[in-house]
Amino acid sequence: MTSSTHHVVLGNGIAGNHAASVIREREPDARITLVSAGALLFYNRYDLPNVFRGRQHWVDYLVHPPEYYESRNITLRRKTQVTELDTRTQTLSLAHRETLHYDKLLIATGGHAYIPERLLDYTKLMLGFHNFIVAMQVQKSVRKGGTVIMLGGDVMGIDLARTIIATGHRVILVLDPRTFWPHDVTPSDRVKYLQALTNMGVEVQDSGRVERIEMINGTGSGRRVFLENGGHIRGDVVMPFYGIVPTVDFLATSGIDMERGILVNPQLQTVRDNIWAAGDVCQIWSAEHNAYRFFYGYRNVKTMGEVAAHNMTGKQATFTSTVNEKLVVNRDGSLYSPFWEHD
Amino acid sequence: MAYHTDIQISICGSAGDGTIAVGDIFKRAMAHVGYRVIAFDQYPAEIRGFGKCIARTRVATSRVYSMKGYSDVLVSLNDMHAIPHVGEVRNYGALIYDSAPMSAVAEGAHISGHLKPGHIPYALPMREVSELATGANRSRNFVALGFVAGLYQLPQDAFHHAIAAKFESKAAAVTKSALAAFDSGFEAGAASYQFDDVRIDAPRGRKNAHEARMMTGNGAIVQGCLDAGIETFFGYPITPATGIMERLAVEMPRRGARLVQTEDEIAAISAAIGAGYAGSRAATATSGPGLSLMTEMMGLGVMAEVPVVIFVSQRGGPSTGLPTKTEQSDLNLAVWGGHGDAGRIVLAPTNVEGCRRCAGRAFELAEQFQVPVIVLVDLYLSNRYETVFLQDENEFLPKDWKQTATPRAGYRRYELTTDGVSPRCIPGEVGGIHTATGLEHDEYGNPSDSARTHTLMTEKRYEKLQAAIKHPGINFTKRFGDSGKVEVGLLTWGSTFGEALEAMLLAQKEGIRCAATKVVMLSPFPVRPVLRFYKDCQQILVPELNYTGQFAKLLSGEIVLPVTRISHTTGAPLDVSTLLEAIRKAARKHRRQHNTT
Repeated sequence: MTSSTHHVVLGNGIAGNHAASVIREREPDARITLVSAGALLFYNRYDLPNVFRGRQHWVDYLVHPPEYYESRNITLRRKTQVTELDTRTQTLSLAHRETLHYDKLLIATGGHAYIPERLLDYTKLMLGFHNFIVAMQVQKSVRKGGTVIMLGGDVMGIDLARTIIATGHRVILVLDPRTFWPHDVTPSDRVKYLQALTNMGVEVQDSGRVERIEMINGTGSGRRVFLENGGHIRGDVVMPFYGIVPTVDFLATSGIDMERGILVNPQLQTVRDNIWAAGDVCQIWSAEHNAYRFFYGYRNVKTMGEVAAHNMTGKQATFTSTVNEKLVVNRDGSLYSPFWEHD
Repeated sequence: MAYHTDIQISICGSAGDGTIAVGDIFKRAMAHVGYRVIAFDQYPAEIRGFGKCIARTRVATSRVYSMKGYSDVLVSLNDMHAIPHVGEVRNYGALIYDSAPMSAVAEGAHISGHLKPGHIPYALPMREVSELATGANRSRNFVALGFVAGLYQLPQDAFHHAIAAKFESKAAAVTKSALAAFDSGFEAGAASYQFDDVRIDAPRGRKNAHEARMMTGNGAIVQGCLDAGIETFFGYPITPATGIMERLAVEMPRRGARLVQTEDEIAAISAAIGAGYAGSRAATATSGPGLSLMTEMMGLGVMAEVPVVIFVSQRGGPSTGLPTKTEQSDLNLAVWGGHGDAGRIVLAPTNVEGCRRCAGRAFELAEQFQVPVIVLVDLYLSNRYETVFLQDENEFLPKDWKQTATPRAGYRRYELTTDGVSPRCIPGEVGGIHTATGLEHDEYGNPSDSARTHTLMTEKRYEKLQAAIKHPGINFTKRFGDSGKVEVGLLTWGSTFGEALEAMLLAQKEGIRCAATKVVMLSPFPVRPVLRFYKDCQQILVPELNYTGQFAKLLSGEIVLPVTRISHTTGAPLDVSTLLEAIRKAARKHRRQHNTT
């Protein structure tokens, strides 16, 4: 590679940051630009539940200090939204009307919360937990000893529920077929895992799907969730945890093959030259499953970043998952997901 | 412990963006609610065009003396101009910029690509917000200002008040539009999560907070002139002194005084000398190029012993030089300029309050010692805003306090006296007939080329200057910092003193014994207090905004002792951190030599 190669990494998460770091190690003179839609440096989202434990300054969550990027000569472009990818001219269109040329592109834009269509009208009445600001909003919205109504209950939600309960609050979980997402759970295992949730202090609500959500007294604080069976539950906040969907809107006209995510081979390369994808945004061809599939969890995503970086810099590396994808019930009866593991 | 607010906000745009206007509103609003404010605007030399404008404002809960070397917040109204200043923002400071430019920008031309990892970005669609609020995108400067106010929870009312005051003379629609844009920006700012660590706490209560005024150095000079009862002013516009004449042109007629814009600087000084000769409190104002033209006539003022005040605001030179940048490179011209032994008084205030004081005292000195007095400032001080608490407006002596002598038989206008000051009378007074001339003259004013007369008269003209140094109304030098022996001393003049004082205060916090002395009177030179300071200092640093070390050379002509020159010729004020590093270096050197820690 020439020293003028411009590696552009879209996404400021685990895959993107690890990839940028590996590219820098392998190509000391290359130009590296890391593009992020957010305002902050890379921070550890796995630790965000700790806002309930009093860690309420975003700097406490930083994985790398600002000097990390300066010393590695990695240009960070934050608050930068990519609107379009033109693979012919190898340029990205940015929302602020600038174009950015790349020689090699890694798409690691991750995913965002999936909201079932029937609940889209209530989006403003729900709070996710996908970034620091929202995490703080949730923490401030829950009164001391207050109640969080969790819808769906994917493993990120369950992870958060552990901390919320441990800090003296109630969690009511409204079950859904996507509960325990992304784990594949058999009906018999599901019973076992629901018992584990109860053991952990989660109040499981299995009265059908959510019908509608209302603000209590129109005050802005407090929510009422109406269920299919006609009953309702009250809480301070309603949080949707139905899993995530890849963030790929800007690729609509790019010509890159996609199903739900970007389709890549085990080397994480897309059908286009010089474009790779890593992390929650991509579906990797699995010979074992004879299908493209997602691989989740911190370790998988970090490995993907590393594999993509190697391949962007001339090596031929292949992604292999090292994460056991099975949910576990601990000896104390609580639930454990390998997707909760992180550095 | 109460938090001490001390932040600096820079707004950078192109001429026509309204950068200076919103900077002005920001500083006035902050001063209005009781903060101490220093502000300095930089703008292009071109009257119209697309040059760079920067409005920098430092806001603090207690007194500060200079601009900071870095900014806590940078607002970009024009990325091309703001990008070179991104590095001025500290880690975890904020950058606020337009996320929806009007037209496509080339790769690398948007500011978001230039932020340092430690910066906190706030992308705001300024044009869009402005259009929604006002129907036009011209008010995006007010959107940005509102965003700042909303983000940092500043009192909205104070800004409304400042905006209304700013557009008092405009159509109501102008104010309405500005307020609408400001409020929209405020709402966006208030709704934004503040990730930066910029804190602006409520100002400390101060009994006389309501007496605080925002004033520039030029404004303070005008105030000093008015408080001293200026009667006539003659001037020719020149940056950065024009503001003096502009404001006097408004104020003087209201007080029955007269101001004339002359055809050039030579006419201005000539007329001012003529007015001074006629007994009027007279002044002119100019910059370096104008002072060059005035020097010949200033000699007449010296020779004919006519009181006149000349305000000089320095800019980058030589020639037309850098009309809108600051420099302290006219010291030589002010102190020595002209032919012959033409001693004059030169005062150099160091801050805005000092500008008023020196302006007022300059008239007293000119009249008491019958000599031209130059008040030497620079663009940085002329245009710098500070919150000031003015003294009694009657503190200056009325013009008739010792102006004239009662003419008597055998009246000698240039009588040789013990202090060199002769009895002066105003033309037209009975018995006061005398000759006033540029030629050397005897005690009656009659031309004389005798060797004895020239020797005696030259001595007389210098002796009265030595008497001037005893004037009780001005601290010709003033020392700050540690008393007694110190490791490092800073000897400064003019606007540079603020940076020196800030650097000294920081050095003291690091355990360095240091002091700073400002020299307000440059001519005649106050040798004794400066020498005392010298003797207390192991090392002397002389920072100034010129290449040749004009003040250091002035010093070396009076006191032959070594100094370390810190010369700076960027057209911008000295950076406090540069001075602090120089102090550290000097302290290390001293400690190595004396083997102390």
